[in-house]
Amino acid sequence: MIASLTAGAALIVCALVELLFPGKDLYHYGWFNVLLAALIVVAVYPLARTLRALSTPRERAGFTAGIAGAVIAGFATIASGLLGPDTQVLVAAPGATERVDALGGSLVFPIAAANGASQSGVQLVRGGRALAVTARRYDGPFLLVALPRPVVSVDVSDLRGGHLTITQPTGNAFLSPVLLMQAQQVIAGMTVPYDSFAVPAEHRVVKAVLFSAEQAERMPSLGAATAAVLFDVENENEVEVKNGIAVAPDGHRVTLAGIQLLPRVFEYPAVEVISVPDIRVVGFALVLVIAGAILTRLPQTV
Amino acid sequence: MNRQIRWLLILAVLAIAAVIIVPFFRSDTSHATGPSALAGSAAPVFALLDDRGASVSLQQYRGHIVLMNLWASWCPPCRAEMPDLQRLSQQYTSAGLVVVGVNEGESPERARAFAQSLGIRFPIWIDDQQRYGRLYAALGMPTTVVIGRDGNVVKGFDGALTLTQMQDAVRPYLKT
Repeated sequence: MIASLTAGAALIVCALVELLFPGKDLYHYGWFNVLLAALIVVAVYPLARTLRALSTPRERAGFTAGIAGAVIAGFATIASGLLGPDTQVLVAAPGATERVDALGGSLVFPIAAANGASQSGVQLVRGGRALAVTARRYDGPFLLVALPRPVVSVDVSDLRGGHLTITQPTGNAFLSPVLLMQAQQVIAGMTVPYDSFAVPAEHRVVKAVLFSAEQAERMPSLGAATAAVLFDVENENEVEVKNGIAVAPDGHRVTLAGIQLLPRVFEYPAVEVISVPDIRVVGFALVLVIAGAILTRLPQTV
Repeated sequence: MNRQIRWLLILAVLAIAAVIIVPFFRSDTSHATGPSALAGSAAPVFALLDDRGASVSLQQYRGHIVLMNLWASWCPPCRAEMPDLQRLSQQYTSAGLVVVGVNEGESPERARAFAQSLGIRFPIWIDDQQRYGRLYAALGMPTTVVIGRDGNVVKGFDGALTLTQMQDAVRPYLKT
């Protein structure tokens, strides 16, 4: 009985730990899941003998319910570890809709204004219903986490101030003026994100490197005390143009190579999708365990 | 009785196993991308300015069939397509079609000069934040979307269309 109870308790603890501290590589390791399977065997194997040793039907029912709950939680934990996909971070442009098969629906990313203000957060749309993806949202066998990350909105105009189209031929959204800054490079020992876009009307291709406020402070040559964007302008044939490199602090316009560039740095959510033990199943398992504990503790006659 | 309980237990175990395992085997069916993927969904509505500075919105055309074309003056296929859009507009206005050209990211002056140079008389809207380009998942320019009388997207196209393709796209929804 002690072995059963210990193994059952360990299974419940593992399920809760995976729910509270999700996304660890350990949960997907084969040996870890074999260990969980071994705990299930240890919990179930002596069940018949233990039930015979218990004196009342109520105790037997309670013990069975408790072990059943632990085993169900164990199977849910193994399923998420072995069958669940690895953690993925979905990054999308404001206004984009990304189909996510694992969730059986689509993530709708909100439109953000030029100053970065968005009217709502990311929503999971499934079967005609929209669910807000808040800081942490459990959704069956997945945990969705909204992760704010820095992006750069760029406003480009010609020398007379006429607005110009930005395209991202290699980016997530062809016509988005928001750069998602997913690539990284090392400059002066600092890892900085960068992205690129085209200004077709002026036959320009622009690389934008983002320095956070802390990084800008460590590089006095940037001349910025806030977050700043280093622009490197080339022509369409990837040839450097004269006076084509400049730094623009967040919210400050810079003129180079015949165009004016105004960057605005703001945070925009990405969504991390983490496989976890199905919260509905673990909840049901916990109910069984609690019910089992109550049954075994109740006096025989009430 | 014991046999019944055993079967009930087996069924319960199978049901729980299904609840645990089935979500991981959702089909990875391929899905359309780009503007065509939006067919059936509500067309986003927000206020824009037209090339004369007047406030406009798709809401004003509810009850009409709207063919919305996303374009820019630097885009050669957009330029090539414009005269056919003008012909389509003239041909089907009386049947309830509204053609709207939405300039993506340029100034009203540039858009107006471009439209005038081609003799365009359908409405030209200015989307300087390129919001429609993002919302319609444009893969390139031009992008064309047909919106039904109920405000839902019925068709989306990536790339330039011929006049025949435009007619085929709107004719089924127009009053004959």
